[in-house]
Amino acid sequence: MSTTATAVVRRPGPRAWLNLVVCEAKMVARDTAGLVVPLGLPLLILLTSAQAAGDQEVVAGFSALEAYVLPLVLTMVIATIGVINMPSFLAYYRRSGILRRLSVTPASPAMVLVAQVVVSVLQTVLGLALAVGVAFLGFGASPPAHLATTLGVYALAMAAMYAVGMIVAAVAPTPNSAVAIGLVGFFALGALGGMFGGPGSLPEPLAALGERLPFGAAVQALAAAWVGAPVEAAHLVSLGVTVVVGSVTAGLLFRWD
Amino acid sequence: MSSDTNGSGGSGRPPAIEAEGLVKRYGDKVAVDGLSLRVGAGEVLGILGTNGAGKTTTVEMIAGLRRPDRGSVRLLGLDPRRDRARVRQVLGVQLQAAYLHGALTVAELLDLYRSFYPDPRPAAELLDLVGLEEQRRVRFEKLSGGQQQRLSIALALVGRPRVVILDELTTGLDPRARRRMWGTVERLRDEGVTVVLVSHAMEEVERLCDRVALLDAGRLVAVDTPGALTARAGAETLDDAFVALTGKQLEAAE
Repeated sequence: MSTTATAVVRRPGPRAWLNLVVCEAKMVARDTAGLVVPLGLPLLILLTSAQAAGDQEVVAGFSALEAYVLPLVLTMVIATIGVINMPSFLAYYRRSGILRRLSVTPASPAMVLVAQVVVSVLQTVLGLALAVGVAFLGFGASPPAHLATTLGVYALAMAAMYAVGMIVAAVAPTPNSAVAIGLVGFFALGALGGMFGGPGSLPEPLAALGERLPFGAAVQALAAAWVGAPVEAAHLVSLGVTVVVGSVTAGLLFRWD
Repeated sequence: MSSDTNGSGGSGRPPAIEAEGLVKRYGDKVAVDGLSLRVGAGEVLGILGTNGAGKTTTVEMIAGLRRPDRGSVRLLGLDPRRDRARVRQVLGVQLQAAYLHGALTVAELLDLYRSFYPDPRPAAELLDLVGLEEQRRVRFEKLSGGQQQRLSIALALVGRPRVVILDELTTGLDPRARRRMWGTVERLRDEGVTVVLVSHAMEEVERLCDRVALLDAGRLVAVDTPGALTARAGAETLDDAFVALTGKQLEAAE
């Protein structure tokens, strides 16, 4: 037996990636609260406010359902997954030594991060399909005026929520604190972004602030795209800046063990 | 340093692991203080020491998990940090108190870790090696501490490694599981695998190890065959030899 390892480097292939994604999906599916909240909470808001909202025409052909309730509900889906769920999984993986264990295999702990994002995107699609399905079939919602713009804005908003989540994962020392910071972050961003009764019910300075933060910006930009109004640059800038700030912060502060 | 304190023993085997002048500090505390060690290919080396002697830090530097402040490590001729990808293919590691995805079952975890390696051992063989056949559908979080430990050992062997590092192999295992793990190490030795075994248990070290490295306060006190160490200390048992050579009592496993 030779004493020098000259073997060709064989990195984990597609099978390893698929296996990891399936395993992450099982982890998410077996975590009941983490599975139900991002699907159930937005649906609850939709069911309780869609009827009344559907009767108020806001712009030609669109009611408050499309101009307010659906953008809010869809933003809640990505915010619960990005800001609460993902960081709590990552903090748990780090704390429990799972990332460390993976770092002594040919798989890198970064693969887990990617697999988590893939699974959370799938979960988002599920939440999106559920909310949109109920809104269309149950309450006669109209499809977006600009479908491509709406999807583009949603993808950007999703990236912004993950970026916020990565900051949470980077600064939280324990899994419990990740959940706590994630929840507080979610409710703070949500409250300022109109989750409890719309920006109109907030004092002017707070509403203005909320609109600049990723949750409010996502709701406003989605609403504009849905009803065919021009999407305000300020909202897109807010989401873009969140992505950059979150990625840089996480890059600097995130610890693998 | 003379060759009998860090050489590869009387076997003349070429080294699988060469550690030279390793130093690691945590703040003011020196965990490992200029440690040099060679492990011959196919050798089973035990690392024995009290808590805080620097055993885990040493093997973590050998595995590339920690960067030494000073000194160098070669594992099968590779640098564990710079040749990371190659080292990961030939090295199996059982970490102390490592946790795995809690909601996944034994079989799911084995399949996951098997998919990371080009030529993994069959899952059935791994289950048999560590005696977890009946737990294959049990989630990791539902396993007992000893069962979790055995799965962790199985995962260290998944990729048919040429070098295996086992940190606290049998701590927390019942006597039957302990003997089974000893059989597993003996099988690895028969296959020519190099094994580094961090241990608290004298009986385990005497039975399994070709040579034993005694660590105290981050330094290598002595490294030799169990018999030679006992003789050198003029002692009756390895236990007594440990006390004579380090001036400390080796406590029972925590």
